[in-house]
Amino acid sequence: MSLRWFFILLVIPGLLTLTPLRATAQSAGGTVATGVSERGKQTLEDILARQKAALRGLKLAPGTAAAPAGAPAGPDTGPLGPRGNQSLSDIWNRWRGGDPLNLLKPYSADQVMTTSGEQWRLLRVEYIRRYAGWFPLGALVLLVAFWMYRGRIRIRAGRAGRKIARFTITQRVAHWFTAGVFILLALTGLLILLGRPLILPWLGHDAHSVLISAAMQAHNLFGPLFIAALIWLFIKFLPGNLFHPVDLGWILRLGGLFGGHVSAGRFNFGEKAWFWLLIIVGAVLSITGLAMEFPWLFADLRWLQLSTVLHAIGAIVLISVALGHIYIGSIGMEGAIDSMLEGEVDENWAREHHDLWYQEVTSTTGKEKEEASA
Amino acid sequence: MSDQQTAGQRPDEAQDDRQDGAAAAVGKFLEFTDGAVASYFESCVHCGECAEACHFYLSTGDPRYTPTYKLLPMVKAYRRARAPLRTVRDMFGLLPDDPTLDELREWGPLVYDSCTMCGRCTLVCPMGIDIAGTIARMREGYVAAGLAPEGLVHATEMVRRTTSPMGVTAKALRAQVEHQEKETGIPISLDEKGAEYMAILSSMEIMGYPEVIGAYARLFKAADISWTISTKAYEATNIGVQIGSGALAREIVQRVVDAAEELGVRHVISPECGHAYGALRWAGPNLIGRRYDFEVVHIIELIDRLRREGRLPIGNRDARRITLHDPCQIVRRGGLLKEPRRLLDAAASDFVEMDNAGIANLCCGGGGGVSANPRAAELQSRAFSCKLDQLNAIEGLQAVVVPCANCRSVFEDALDEREIDNFEIIGLGELVASTLDQDKAAQG
Amino acid sequence: MSFLQIVEGPLFWVAAAVFVLGALWRVGGLIAMKRRRDIAPPTGSAAAGFIRGNLRHFLPRAAFARRTWIHLVGGYGFHLGLFVLLLFAAPHVAFLDKRILGFSWPALPRWAFILVAEIAFAGLIILWVRRISEPVMRLISDADDHVGSWLTFLVMLSGCFALQQSHDALRATHMFLVDIWLLYFPFSRLMHAFTFVLSRGHTGATYGRRGITP
Repeated sequence: MSLRWFFILLVIPGLLTLTPLRATAQSAGGTVATGVSERGKQTLEDILARQKAALRGLKLAPGTAAAPAGAPAGPDTGPLGPRGNQSLSDIWNRWRGGDPLNLLKPYSADQVMTTSGEQWRLLRVEYIRRYAGWFPLGALVLLVAFWMYRGRIRIRAGRAGRKIARFTITQRVAHWFTAGVFILLALTGLLILLGRPLILPWLGHDAHSVLISAAMQAHNLFGPLFIAALIWLFIKFLPGNLFHPVDLGWILRLGGLFGGHVSAGRFNFGEKAWFWLLIIVGAVLSITGLAMEFPWLFADLRWLQLSTVLHAIGAIVLISVALGHIYIGSIGMEGAIDSMLEGEVDENWAREHHDLWYQEVTSTTGKEKEEASA
Repeated sequence: MSDQQTAGQRPDEAQDDRQDGAAAAVGKFLEFTDGAVASYFESCVHCGECAEACHFYLSTGDPRYTPTYKLLPMVKAYRRARAPLRTVRDMFGLLPDDPTLDELREWGPLVYDSCTMCGRCTLVCPMGIDIAGTIARMREGYVAAGLAPEGLVHATEMVRRTTSPMGVTAKALRAQVEHQEKETGIPISLDEKGAEYMAILSSMEIMGYPEVIGAYARLFKAADISWTISTKAYEATNIGVQIGSGALAREIVQRVVDAAEELGVRHVISPECGHAYGALRWAGPNLIGRRYDFEVVHIIELIDRLRREGRLPIGNRDARRITLHDPCQIVRRGGLLKEPRRLLDAAASDFVEMDNAGIANLCCGGGGGVSANPRAAELQSRAFSCKLDQLNAIEGLQAVVVPCANCRSVFEDALDEREIDNFEIIGLGELVASTLDQDKAAQG
Repeated sequence: MSFLQIVEGPLFWVAAAVFVLGALWRVGGLIAMKRRRDIAPPTGSAAAGFIRGNLRHFLPRAAFARRTWIHLVGGYGFHLGLFVLLLFAAPHVAFLDKRILGFSWPALPRWAFILVAEIAFAGLIILWVRRISEPVMRLISDADDHVGSWLTFLVMLSGCFALQQSHDALRATHMFLVDIWLLYFPFSRLMHAFTFVLSRGHTGATYGRRGITP
């Protein structure tokens, strides 16, 4: 199996994202409009302007973008080449081995140059870097909205004062260890991904370069710790995180976030979903991260390109969801953080949020109370 | 506060007393803070390991029973008045306040009820801090401030009246000795001048386990040793060490020293009692300010010495499944680790060690004055559960050798309370005495 | 004078002087307090006990390891890692050679440095998160514990920020934090790095006289 099938599975989302690029790439190659260049003249500004326009891709003026692919180029706006303004598309196509957008086509001996790097760069700049920051921000906005709607979720019956053991010290340390490394990686990772559009314009190249150098060293250093943390976390938290029919009720009632009682065992569906999301996406981040940290392990450059893409997407997803996890585990819900700070939760908290688990751990008393109320 | 005073408002006398009490405690804290204690306070990194060694924390899960936390008032006093570089800390406003009387009172249960001064925490401490020894010094401050628990204060009054915390009089001793003479058929001399050895006993042994006296008689007859008991100083228990009163501790040691030197004995035998050994053997010379004219030898040490010299022939070994409880003050803090084991190997054929046996063994939960402190009764009973777990882990256990009278009564009370009677609690001396080869001993 | 020159020059020397003098003063103060004299006839040697106590407590006792393994992993990982980094990281060896000692020794290769740094960081993080997530630790920890942990963490982190060794600003940040750390050290619980010898030694000596090493 390979590698190839694995690659195909991983690359489908990438391809879907690439589809709109196909049109623009061709149009960009065919009809780059530059108002600045003089007829037939090739100045540095001229070349830079063309490249910039090509980079923008989708941002071309409506008229030019709509120009049909392969339409004859104007003498003063065509691609630059050894023959001046005359197109050498056939030669280029042959050199780069046929279809430039088919990432699945393997390298071959007769291929002179590859262009997947350019598509990768466009994908990164035009999609990931442009939209990535909005997801965590959006998550924050949602949380603020939820806070305004629901406020802090209180323990309705108040604190009982009696405690139930929830997490062992090993589980707590594994959790906070992962959390600590995750935060360090998230901050340095966001800096690496978004530093260029967000920091560079404000602080300038020198400061940006210092920051990115620091962030990258720290990110590379803490990455392997995250892998270890993830494995530890997986082992320590797997029990109780397997899905159960009860979870359907939780899903149907949206976790009771908007009212209504939902039953849950030791972990509710939200916690289980977060657990598995973290483990699976975390695994993808680990593998792709290793690919980037040890690039010589991967002969095919496109693995690395794919890795950066998946790594960024996965990280943004995890960071966004983690914000929700942090919210509900701290200010969002009274009594929730006790479990991770002291290992114990209030009896009434357990009863209200994890009733099935509560009954399980207090089986005799739970039954007595049921009988008493019946 | 000072504003109120300058305003002409006299602080009431109760307030004065309170300050005096706290000041007396702090004064003692500082008096007892030498370079060793200061190093302990300086090196503690708050790692919390000591909690994992403490039977009070293990059995309750209450973080307040973390051993290093129990020292906090004394640490504060030290930081404020003794710690090097404290002036620099003061410049940043980082010096703690002196402990108040209320704070000291609140800490009382941590200093007395939940510490048996067993020293197990020292083993797990990365810095090797002797928390138990420091608690002992801290108690001096508590006594000075009048904050010692009532039960212990009551026992000290009893000691001042009768020399024994249980009120055992010389008359009672004579009666028990006579009874043992009849039981064993061996005469036991009292107040005999020129005897080689003088035995002292704990009240608990005299009243609760008088067969110990009979065991001594048989062992020493077999080994052909001349020994006696003084009717002036027969009590080994040193309540002064437990409550933290140096003056009282000195008085009790002095009484034994005077009696022994009056009788001219060469050795004083410390009984199977934990803190009595530490009090007489290790603290005593420092308390009275000189070495003794006699040697202090622990009964286990002595029996082991005699047996190795071939003077105590062992006959039929005890065939029961037997384990050994290590009394903290005798083993971990007394240094007698191998001796009881050599004796058990010789006297029992099915001797098994319990978990954590030896230097890291768990305390019974009643040492360090805890068993004499009714306020601590419930806590002590809970702490015993750790010991019980160790015992229950031994399959087919028939007897536990507990070579400390205090531990022994703690064991018996706790087992009674839990209605457990599937194994017996015995002393080490009695076990060895009961397995003596009578024929050979008679010939010898 | 650039910021880097200040933090590597005058400020470093001031910090180092405070560190050395403060630590000496504090340890000297503890030694000057003396031990109470013990005149009970010994069965073992106090001096040997002092040494035995010090050595014995480098190793954990099996009886407790099952309950305290997280702390053992964190503690050993961090401390061993820190000492290796301190003494064998290539930039440290070079700094000591050029600025202080005038001689050098073989430094760790880069891969080993990274590996050791991972271990040290993991250990320190474990030690600190344990401090915030265990009732015992929450009860007994004070500000000094947290400041000490975080300052050390920031020193290590800034050191790793500067790993590329291509920006003076990062080197200066690291050195600045090192200076702060050195200034803080003698007044804080970080002093356990020196006082542990005394505390283990005193206990070792006390019980060494009794022929046992608890």
